Formats: sequence, structure tokens, C-alpha cells
Amino acid sequence: MAIVSAHCFGQQKNQSRRFQFHSINNFGLINGQADPALQIQTINGLQHKSWFGGIGLGLDYYRLRSIPLFVDVRKEFGKTKDRFFLFADAGTNFYWKRDKDAKQFYEEDKFKNGFYGEVGAGYKIKLNQKFSLISSLSFNYKKLIEKGRNYFYCDPMACPITSLPPPEEKIDYNLNRLVFKAGIEF
Amino acid sequence: MVKSTCKTNCMEKIFLSFKKIIVPALVAALFSGCVKDKITHTYQVRTPVYQVLSKFREQIKSMPASNIGSRGKMTVAGNYIFISELYKGIHVIDNSNPASPKNVSFINVPGNEDMSIVGNTLYADAYSDLVTFDITDPANAVAKNFAANVFPDHAIYYAGLYTSPDSINVVVDWIVHDTTVDYVPNQGGGIYFYPPGCPNCMTIAQNMNASTLPGAAGTNGSLSRFATVNNYLYTVSYSQLSSFDITNRLAPVYKTNFTVDWHVETIFPFKGRLFVGTNNGMYMYDAEASPSNPTPLGEFTHVRGCDPVVADDNYAYVTINDSSACLGFNNELQIINVQNFTNSFLVKSYQLTHPIGLSKDGNNLFICDGSDGLKIFNAADVNNLQLIKQIKDINAVDIITINGLAIVVATDGVYQYDYSDLNNIHPVSKL
Repeated sequence: MAIVSAHCFGQQKNQSRRFQFHSINNFGLINGQADPALQIQTINGLQHKSWFGGIGLGLDYYRLRSIPLFVDVRKEFGKTKDRFFLFADAGTNFYWKRDKDAKQFYEEDKFKNGFYGEVGAGYKIKLNQKFSLISSLSFNYKKLIEKGRNYFYCDPMACPITSLPPPEEKIDYNLNRLVFKAGIEF
Repeated sequence: MVKSTCKTNCMEKIFLSFKKIIVPALVAALFSGCVKDKITHTYQVRTPVYQVLSKFREQIKSMPASNIGSRGKMTVAGNYIFISELYKGIHVIDNSNPASPKNVSFINVPGNEDMSIVGNTLYADAYSDLVTFDITDPANAVAKNFAANVFPDHAIYYAGLYTSPDSINVVVDWIVHDTTVDYVPNQGGGIYFYPPGCPNCMTIAQNMNASTLPGAAGTNGSLSRFATVNNYLYTVSYSQLSSFDITNRLAPVYKTNFTVDWHVETIFPFKGRLFVGTNNGMYMYDAEASPSNPTPLGEFTHVRGCDPVVADDNYAYVTINDSSACLGFNNELQIINVQNFTNSFLVKSYQLTHPIGLSKDGNNLFICDGSDGLKIFNAADVNNLQLIKQIKDINAVDIITINGLAIVVATDGVYQYDYSDLNNIHPVSKL
């Protein structure tokens, strides 16, 4: 019975090491057709052997400021402490209004959130028992939709008092970027 | 010892691994030109459908009653309410019993924006034409006269130069489809256009002698762009005021036009004078001394905004709203002393939500305040308006008050309220 208990206790201790909480925090530089922009991310989740899965939240300043919210999955390769990894993210991003972003529609200008995704590869350098330095390069896609009405500057008392307003139009932003990230994992 | 070893090893690692960090950064920078954004703009394209003017005019006549779509102008004459549907025509409502109004017919007037009634005669625009109807039987209006090209602002709809009705094409319909094109975001913000015409202007003509149609002159309300004084019809377009001799009711004769200001909005007649509201101010003209060519009396400038106006013997009441069509920023009522037209001055402003149409009956001032509903004030003391009642559950746009009955055009229908007892203002009907 003691042997069984010790074995079970040992198994429980191993069980508790199977999933470990990790936090990955990055600064990124986004490069694309528009001006380079900054990105900040924090991804928190569980590591199990060479796999990691977590939830990420960030700030993305490319063209239109937005807040990505996504699921992150990573796979590490190699048996050394420093490892190569691949990762993929998928989620959505929410527009966060700022004065710098010029409205494209004179009336009822509003944004709809869109898909956010990323695939990339990186390298993880273990600094000590707890901290690792990570850097990565990825292809990143973010989508936002801007809707509104292009206003016809009519005579006074004009649209849209009683007649049908001008039809709603939309602008689809499909933004493709390369992102370099560096950060800390613990 | 362990600590310093770690510190040394950590720094070494960072230094030696620096290339593993810098290479991805360089790659991102070098290859950023290979990734492109795809930004598209989806909008509606409206292609006009044309018809020869002579054929188009044949369609302008009374037809069976139909559902009222988007509500435009409203005119009350006798026991009838005439409600326009923008660009389509005019619905005729028998309001003999205000508690149960009846939709009796529809006057098909393609391109219609405004109307006005004098006695048994209805004047309405049909694109650039001024059409004169005999409404002796309001349910069976008959087009009697077409004055061509009276509203040149609306000539945008003509495809060619005017020579005869058989050679002019008029837009009678639109084919609508969506299209998507590549788009470069405009750093200056949204774009908008400046076509002439007044697609959504509203008017109310109020017949002061409500019991009979014949011979009685209509009195237009706050949002009107047509006005009648004695034997003259006055219309305002984007920047012009035009006059028509309607001594022969069924054959208006164009007299003259002149420039008032840019972005003219409304015209309100009161005791032989014309109060013209524009984006920048209010202009006053004498239409009695010189009816064919009203003479200017004075003007009052105000902050930019849409501004319907009504007047009494001493004051003009102007609502100003921040509708983007008028590039305005204020929402208020301005009361202007007009006892001396050459020296009119602001008495007081009252902040409102989004005021549009208004009407005055005695000391009672009725203001349509958009989503804030209808507000009824005691205006005996213009320096101290007192709110009598606020009817909140309608999005009121314009109003006509007649014999204790308030007829309100709202975004979702036409409401009628009995205000004969100010302590018991209550709804009568909704159409």
C-alpha cells in the first residue's frame, strides 16, 4: 500500500508538471505597404512539453489602430535549451479610434471588427530557469471594415430628413504585413 | 558565485545570439515591399433611366391611393392634407375627420420636391417644370399647365439642351447596382458632392380659411420653399428667388429671379413680407410694394446651419440645426426682433436638441425637435419661453397648426394632436 501510495504521489507530482503557465510578451515592428508601425502583445497560456496554447491580446498601430484578440498555438523544436519554434495565431481585432485616422465617410462613419491572423517562426533563447528571450518573424494579416455614407451636400433641410439617406458604403481594409517581434517569455 | 555566473552566461547568450534576433528584423525590413495591402471601396452606382419629357408629362395625373413611402412636404388646404413623397408625387388625404384620416388618391408627379396651394390650384415642381393642377376635386387633380425649365437647378436631370418637350430626356428611374473598386484612403477625410436641387426640403402650406378651398390663399409654414402673397407665387432654389404672376391661377407667368445668397433653404410669407432663410442668415423682402420683384428690407446673419423661419408682427423665430447638409454646428432657436427690418437684432437664443420645423399660433410656439419630439412653448415673453408640453415619442420633423389641431410630420408617420385645450394636449390620430 505504501508503494502504491508513493507511486501515485509520484504520478501526481509528474501530472502537475505536465502543464505549466507561460507568459509571452512582445514588442513588434510591423512592416508593410504603409509606414512601419509598432505592435505590443501579451500571450498567456499553458505549455505542455513542446506545445504551447494561449490567448493573446495586443495593440496594433499599423494604418488603423486596433486591439487584436486571438488564440496562439506554438510548437518548439530541438532538444537543447535554445529552441526554434513555429507559431500560428487566429482571432479578431477591434478598431480603437484615434484622431490621426481620417474618417472616410462624412456621415455615420463606423468600424466593424475583422479577422486577425499570423503565422511565423522564431527562436527562443533560454536565459535562466525562468526567463527566455524570444524573437520571431511572421506574416500577419488584419482586416477591418469601415462603413458610412458619402454625403451629398444638398440644399438645406436636405437629406436625410424624410427621404431615403444615401446608401451605405464600405471600405474593406485587408492589411498584409511582415512583423518582427522580440520579447520575453517566462 | 552562482549569481555572477548566471549574469555572465546570460549576457554572453544575448550577445552571441544577437544575430538570431537581428536577422529576422532585417528580413522583415528588406521584404516588407513584397507584402501589399488590399483596400477596396464598395458603393452603389445609380444609372439613370430616361424618358422623353412629353411622355413624362402624360404620367402626371391622379391615380388610386397608395401607401405613403418616405414623407416629404405637407400642405393643408380645407379638409385635405397633401403629403409629398420625394421625387414620386403627392398623396391626398381626406382629413374631414381628423380622428380618422383617409388616403384617397395619389398625384403622380415624378421629380417632385415642393408644392403650394392657392384656392383650387396646386403648384408643384416636376424636375425643372412648374406644374399647375386644378384640385377642385382634390381626389382627382388635373394637370393644367406646364411651365418649362422654371427650376434650372433641377436641370441636372435633363440630358440635353431644352428645345421642346419631345427632345428633352428626363430621368424617370434609376438602375442601382453595387460596385467595388480599389481605394486609397483619403487623409483629408470623407468626400461629398454638391449637386443643385433640394431633394429633401419640406414645406407646409397652411390655408388660413380652413373651411373652403376656393379663393383662399395658402400660407406656407417653416420649411417651405414655395410661398404665395396675393397674386404671386415665390419659389426659392439653391441661391435664387423667383416670382410668378398667378393672377390667372392655372397659368402662372414667370416674372423674374434674383440671387439671395448661397444655400437658400426656406421662404416664409407674413403680411406681404418674405422671410428667406439661408445657411448664413435670414433675408427679408417686401412683396407688396413690388410683387414682381420683391425689394430687400434687411438681413440678419447667424451661425451656419439649416434655419427654417416663421414670423409674427414683431419677431422672427429661426431654428438652427447642425445637419451636415448645412455644415452647421449649433442646435438652437433664435428669436430676432424685426420691428425695424434694417436693424433687426437677436433677442435671445434657446438651446435645443435638433430643431427643424416650427409653427406659431398666437402665443404658442411649436418646435419639432428631432428625436426629442415636439415641444410646445408659451412665447408670450420671448425672453422667457415656458415649456407647456413635450411629446417625446415621435421624431418630429415639421408641423402645421390650424384651428387647435397640430399636424406633425414625423419620420414614421403623420400625427395629429388636439391642442385646443393647452392643459389637455392629446393625440387624435396617426397616419
